[in-house]
Amino acid sequence: MSEVQRRKYSQEEKNGIFDGEFMPHIDSMYNFAYRLTFDEDDAKDLVQDTYLKAYRFINSFEKGTNAKAWLFRILKNSFINEYRRKSKQPAKVDYQEVETYYNSDDVDYQSTSDMRADSVKDMLGDEISNALNSLAVDFRTVIILCDLEGFTYEEMSKILDIPIGTVRSRLHRARNLLKEKLQGYAKNMGYNTDEEE
Amino acid sequence: MDMNEESSEARKLKCGDTSKCFELLESILDGEVDNSKEMLKEKLAKCQPCFEHFHLEQAIRDVLKNKCTKQAVPNELADSIRRQIQEIK
Ligand SMILES: [Zn+2]
Repeated sequence: MSEVQRRKYSQEEKNGIFDGEFMPHIDSMYNFAYRLTFDEDDAKDLVQDTYLKAYRFINSFEKGTNAKAWLFRILKNSFINEYRRKSKQPAKVDYQEVETYYNSDDVDYQSTSDMRADSVKDMLGDEISNALNSLAVDFRTVIILCDLEGFTYEEMSKILDIPIGTVRSRLHRARNLLKEKLQGYAKNMGYNTDEEE
Repeated sequence: MDMNEESSEARKLKCGDTSKCFELLESILDGEVDNSKEMLKEKLAKCQPCFEHFHLEQAIRDVLKNKCTKQAVPNELADSIRRQIQEIK
């Protein structure tokens, strides 16, 4: 976003865009922020900062285009540039996870899990949330954007500034990691994970 | 989609190209493939690994979408944002 912007919208138009197109996404924005920071105050600050930036750069937003994706991109960048550093609970990075999975778009789409669909369906919301929260931030983010917020690969590619192929492979890896965590829970809970051979 | 009910007797137990099939199935589940219904039906009717993979992937997406605990948004957040916008106007 450039500091020098053409003046495009009148004050009234700005208010209309802000209230009509930006504010309706506050729930999703807060949930995203909370899952990034794991802290209510940090999440509030992050959402607040995002909306202030959005207002300041409102002239670079095309009225009627995808406001949610635009806002999510600002929030994600603010998180990386500011919050990730000062966050009270630093983002848990499982380096092995990242190193093993990070460096290529080539993914072997094999089944890595002997988990059964039925045992996933029996899981509780808290178990799912905990499993998601335990993923490294880049993997957590793609799952939030795709499965919780319903963004397309193309939208995610713009929000995250990565190619669509990387979106796809990162999602696949993220879901495999999630399955491993869920499988751990399932075994602890005594759900049946045995293969019917 | 009521594909759970179909008998698995006719399905082959080995998938010809797991990697390609699974990538396609995952794209379909993510809504990235148009007109996928017929192709999907055929694939799932013929191949047991694809069938299982599809339903596990679908279950994962369903629980994420429907069961993932949502954090309640603090009441004062929207007001506080509007107040700060007023200040910079
Ligand atoms: Zn197959």
